[in-house]
Amino acid sequence: MPAMTELPGAGVTRRHFLEKAALLGGSAMVMTALNAWGAGIASMTSAPPALRGSGAGHKLLILGAGVAGMTAAYEMSKLGYQVTILEARAFAGGRCQTARKGFKLTELGGEEQECKFDEGLYINHGPWRIPFCHRSTLHYTKTFGIPLEVLVNENDASYARFDTVKGPLAGKRVRQFEVRADMRGYTSELVAKAATSGKLDTGLAKDDVELFVEYLRGEGYLESDLSYRGTEGRGYKVNPGAGIDDPGPGVPSTPYAFPDLVQSRLWRMVQSVGTFDQQHTMFQPVGGMDRIAKGFEKHVGHLIKYGAEVERIRQSDAGVTVDYLDTKTGKRGTLSADYCLCTIPVSVLRTIDADFSDAYKQAMALLAYDPVCKIGLQMKRRFWEEDDAIYGGHVYTDAPGINLISLPSSGWQSAKGVLLGYYMFGADATDMSGNTPAERAAIALDAGQRIFPQYKENFENAFSASWHLIQYNLGGWGNWSAEARKTAYPVLNKPDRRVYLAGEHISYIGGWQAGAIESAWHQIAQIHQRVAA
Amino acid sequence: MTRTIALAAAVTLLGMAQGATAQDVAKGQDLFNHKCAACHQKTGLGVKGAFPALAGDPFVQGDPEPMVRTVLQGRGGMPTFAALLSEDQLADIISYVRQAWGNAAPAVDAAFVTQVKTSAHPQDKAPTVTH
Repeated sequence: MPAMTELPGAGVTRRHFLEKAALLGGSAMVMTALNAWGAGIASMTSAPPALRGSGAGHKLLILGAGVAGMTAAYEMSKLGYQVTILEARAFAGGRCQTARKGFKLTELGGEEQECKFDEGLYINHGPWRIPFCHRSTLHYTKTFGIPLEVLVNENDASYARFDTVKGPLAGKRVRQFEVRADMRGYTSELVAKAATSGKLDTGLAKDDVELFVEYLRGEGYLESDLSYRGTEGRGYKVNPGAGIDDPGPGVPSTPYAFPDLVQSRLWRMVQSVGTFDQQHTMFQPVGGMDRIAKGFEKHVGHLIKYGAEVERIRQSDAGVTVDYLDTKTGKRGTLSADYCLCTIPVSVLRTIDADFSDAYKQAMALLAYDPVCKIGLQMKRRFWEEDDAIYGGHVYTDAPGINLISLPSSGWQSAKGVLLGYYMFGADATDMSGNTPAERAAIALDAGQRIFPQYKENFENAFSASWHLIQYNLGGWGNWSAEARKTAYPVLNKPDRRVYLAGEHISYIGGWQAGAIESAWHQIAQIHQRVAA
Repeated sequence: MTRTIALAAAVTLLGMAQGATAQDVAKGQDLFNHKCAACHQKTGLGVKGAFPALAGDPFVQGDPEPMVRTVLQGRGGMPTFAALLSEDQLADIISYVRQAWGNAAPAVDAAFVTQVKTSAHPQDKAPTVTH
């Protein structure tokens, strides 16, 4: 964006206008302005609000040292605010966690686990992906110099197997590129033949129909008679190589029959493009997602009071007072501030003694939280790479309560690997979490074994997380109903007197770190505007 | 006393089972331990500040309609179980919960669950998307 462009008739530079907009209206106003100029992408903020002036002499108390809380602490302490963060856990990051050797987790209900992965191996049991469009998250990975690597979020060579379907492909392991090529091939064939025989009203002029058919021919790898008879992209029976034959040119593969494919429902994997936040390029921090937490902590760690469990929130005309329990010493303490930014998940916040207005409490009651489960399985051999030539990406299965198996995008060709053995939500997740960690691993192994015969013999150990059973979270992420989004969400975007809320739940990017960051940006702009007024 | 009579009348009107068989409750216990105990705990005591106790809870032992509705619709962090379990299974679980851990409320039959289901609206949530 050309930052110094003059706005017509305004007499101010574009950047100056943006800064002013940020001071007055927060990042939302900046985005509105950017979008009005066609320079932004809706609902994406790429940099913190450019706040001017000073917060010196003002106390800001932040509850929760997760990504939202630390974002606010980082930006507001730079502005001169006197910032303190209360964090219930002994470490910073909130849900931005990575389990590696020695990581301990005790779930509500008493299940205790200590991660036994080998050195260097890990599972991101919280957030694990950073989409290209989450410019706010990428702003801080860049700012803090956190090395990224690509997370293979789509891998056509990976497997799928659906058992609860009809037809000859039920229970058959397939490569995703086979299904993708065949479904799009057959579909293109049907449309192309209909369009050229005048059976399809394309609404196009005759010459344009020819162009359209040309597109379909390429899209679906159609022959000159507009039939689909396979393509090398769906893989070979024998891959080509050296020599005259064996393998020589190789042996092409044969497409699945169209009715079989339709019955198999494997087409559930096929979409024109991924949803916006699941497309290429997907990133992950090298070494684990908690590198982001550590990046923030390096800058704001000195502001954090660890092991401080918030017990009571009270407000007066003069400020906010928070009582907390020091979980190490058992002693209680009290902190006061001019303003409070509360990033405690609402699932937890509504169990805390706070003098919020009835309207605020009612709004909080309307936010549901999704149960979410993940499991990491350490395998002694990377058989998916060595035997099956699958490097990262997801395996799709309809085995009950699994949803997704995902192969690691780090440590390529090394000895061992940790793969994601399941990742599911809702009632499937509450169901899974009712099992002991050993039982969960057994269920995951049974499911994986149906895809990879090498699964069980290579398994070494597991670490599982059930976010609804994790103290201080009680759920994976907030889930706004359409109705609550209209009625309750706007209420919680505004402060209750001197307490502002932030976190992924106070955004339209729920469940993502970008939501946490951008909600923090939005709210600190509001606070600063109020202080400056 | 009047309240008890009114409740009994309502209960009859709603076609509640007069007593679940031992088989129902045993099945219900097994289902509860798998589907519900992750949060509410096998002891029915829940987790303080996170998941409500069902043992000794007046809501659980009261009018069965709102209780069945809650299980069907979901609430807060609790997902809807309407699609996950059959009316028979739900009746078994709910009957178990109403009679376990010292709770003493009449059982509920599948027909009653079916009846409530006709007017139940699963918690209005956005479709869960992958993150």
